[in-house]
Amino acid sequence: MANVHTFSSCLALADFHGDGEYKLAVGDLGPDGRQPRLKVLKGITLVSHKVLPALPAAAVTFLMGPHEPRTPALAIASGPCVYVYKNLKPYFKFSLPLLPANPLEQDLWNQAKEDQIDPLTLKEMLEGIREKAEVPLSVQSLRFLQLELSEMEAFVNQHKSKSIRRQTVITTMTTLKKSLADEDAMSCLVLGTENKELLVLDPEAFTVLTKMSLPSVPVFLEVSGQFDVEFRLAAACRNGSIYILRRDSKRPKYCIELSAQPVGLVRVHKVLVVGSNQDSLHGFTYKGKRLWTVQMPATILAMNLLEQRSRGLQAVMAALANEEVRIYHNKALLDVIRTPEAVTSLCFGRFGREDNTLIMTTLGGGLIIKILKRTAVFAEGGGEAGPPANHAVKLNMPRKSRFYVDQTLREREAGTAMHRTFQADLYLLRLRVARAYVQALESSLSPVSLTAREPLKLHAVVQGLGPTFKLTLHLQNTSTARPILGLVVCFLYNEVLYALPRAFFKVPLLVPGLNYPLETFVKSLSDKGISDIIKVLVLREGQSMPLLSAHINMPMSEGLAAS
Amino acid sequence: MGLLDRLSGLLGLRKKEVHVLCLGLDNSGKTTIINKLKPSNAQSQDIVPTIGFSIQKFKSSSLSFTVFDMSGQGRYRNLWEHYYKEGQAIIFVIDSSDKLRMVVAKEELHTLLNHPDIKHRRIPILFFANKMDLRDAVTSVKVSQWLCLEDIKDKPWHICASDAIKGEGLQEGVDWLQDQIQAVKT
Repeated sequence: MANVHTFSSCLALADFHGDGEYKLAVGDLGPDGRQPRLKVLKGITLVSHKVLPALPAAAVTFLMGPHEPRTPALAIASGPCVYVYKNLKPYFKFSLPLLPANPLEQDLWNQAKEDQIDPLTLKEMLEGIREKAEVPLSVQSLRFLQLELSEMEAFVNQHKSKSIRRQTVITTMTTLKKSLADEDAMSCLVLGTENKELLVLDPEAFTVLTKMSLPSVPVFLEVSGQFDVEFRLAAACRNGSIYILRRDSKRPKYCIELSAQPVGLVRVHKVLVVGSNQDSLHGFTYKGKRLWTVQMPATILAMNLLEQRSRGLQAVMAALANEEVRIYHNKALLDVIRTPEAVTSLCFGRFGREDNTLIMTTLGGGLIIKILKRTAVFAEGGGEAGPPANHAVKLNMPRKSRFYVDQTLREREAGTAMHRTFQADLYLLRLRVARAYVQALESSLSPVSLTAREPLKLHAVVQGLGPTFKLTLHLQNTSTARPILGLVVCFLYNEVLYALPRAFFKVPLLVPGLNYPLETFVKSLSDKGISDIIKVLVLREGQSMPLLSAHINMPMSEGLAAS
Repeated sequence: MGLLDRLSGLLGLRKKEVHVLCLGLDNSGKTTIINKLKPSNAQSQDIVPTIGFSIQKFKSSSLSFTVFDMSGQGRYRNLWEHYYKEGQAIIFVIDSSDKLRMVVAKEELHTLLNHPDIKHRRIPILFFANKMDLRDAVTSVKVSQWLCLEDIKDKPWHICASDAIKGEGLQEGVDWLQDQIQAVKT
């Protein structure tokens, strides 16, 4: 158990010390998501372990400048800042530019500063702004609005001298090559913020090169191309859409609407592969045209790119909730890796001195490292089976015996007589059913009354072994919107055999749709193990005709008779 | 080893030529080990990653070794099999501090042993569990367990812990190799 709790976006592989030994940087959330740590693994040993100020959103490595030595810097996005580590030492902290605050809100706080306005009016005015204005309130005002009356005064006195600030939070981060597509070219950071914006940062000066706006909050980013030449940015957002931006467009150029929320976004050559929370992978072109869809057997937990440079292979890995990692090349399933536990993050690349290493972290915090063999070739291993292989399942047709043939012969010969007798019997049956039904209606024996005036339903349950039983009556009003008032329940029983504390009681008002359990305790008095029937009658007050009734066959008493 | 052999070995007479393959993953210390086995005046100061392969010579007390020092980088590893035919002995070097790639070394050893040119020949294999001086190095017993060396039944093998920078453990290994080669010859 390595105790690594993280996501695919917070894993980065790079040669931080320039010695050819690639290390893994993990923005770890901590076992309960409350102790953010930066962990660096060399081989299978933890070499560095630093506390992070806030939970990491993403970790990427990038080359900052053209100078030697060309060791990449590690950028960790957390909260409103990007912490840049060089040589695994803190080097720079970039903060997102502040957002403009609402001028009305600013005015209010200025008035509070000069004590022209008391906390209660301030609260009312701020609430007015919150509902109407387009620019949302600052964190300070929002916190003020949450407070109780008694705490307001102190809060205003403490905070009125501070200027109000509105800051946003980074949700996602990736890198974009600046002017060259080489492996060791400079890269720009691309940040997605909670404020529905994308920022492209200069790698050396950490100034904002461009700002693009999106209709929703980006959660996954995928970039291709170079910043100075031409680039395409695909951003999967929380509203279940993917927006594609080009170099000169400040607004999205194409939009792909998914039917479900995206859980991962990976670019394979020119295809965008999106994992949706409906357990499927979709392939899209950069123009937003759907190319293919593959259904997964379980929920997708993590996705990442598998790139084997020596063979020029790019494939998508998807970690599923059924403890599998599947590798797909377009629609074809290349390989399935089974893991002892569900995998939450995936990373493929050069680790240590080995080029093709797959690093997985599991739900419980374990770390699994797999090295791809030099001789291994991914092939479409015929994972896709057509119809089920076992054709042995025949249609379940019953066999006909000699008996059946004889019967049909008999039917052929004496068909008329059979028909007549059967019809006569049917008449008799109908007559008897109708008689019994009328009798039941007259004595109200049925436990369901369907009359329009009194829709009721009753059933009784007996629990216990005896001599004491618990008898629960479930009474329900089945009308749509008419409560029933003034009902009573009466039990009829053999007083020699059973004792009931109250054999007659009133029923509360029955609200339509609710099930009323009414319970009594029945004591068996007989010591000979005799069981009898108890009748339950539901009556209306003032009428002697029961509306409905139930018969309960009391079970045998298993114990000594209650004395 | 008889007295005569030793005498003739010291005199430099009748030294037999033996071809040895030096294999192992990249950065395991193959070139350093071979360099250290050379006489001190012939040793080079700087060791750089081998490109492709190089041919080195060194002498032990009674044999003259010609070593094919192969590059261990992933993309050059498929060159190894071209030299399997010439090899009369194999030196396999393992970085005992690189626990992560022990499985890769095992895999490469497995493919080596199952190669048709190697499989049915009884050639001695000498393993060097190198970089013993490093703090996170594992013992040679552990290395032999991880590489499943017990499974090699049809070839004589020997594992030595070594520190190629200081030269510790190398002589022991070469002595064993020399004994084995002479045992095969006679």
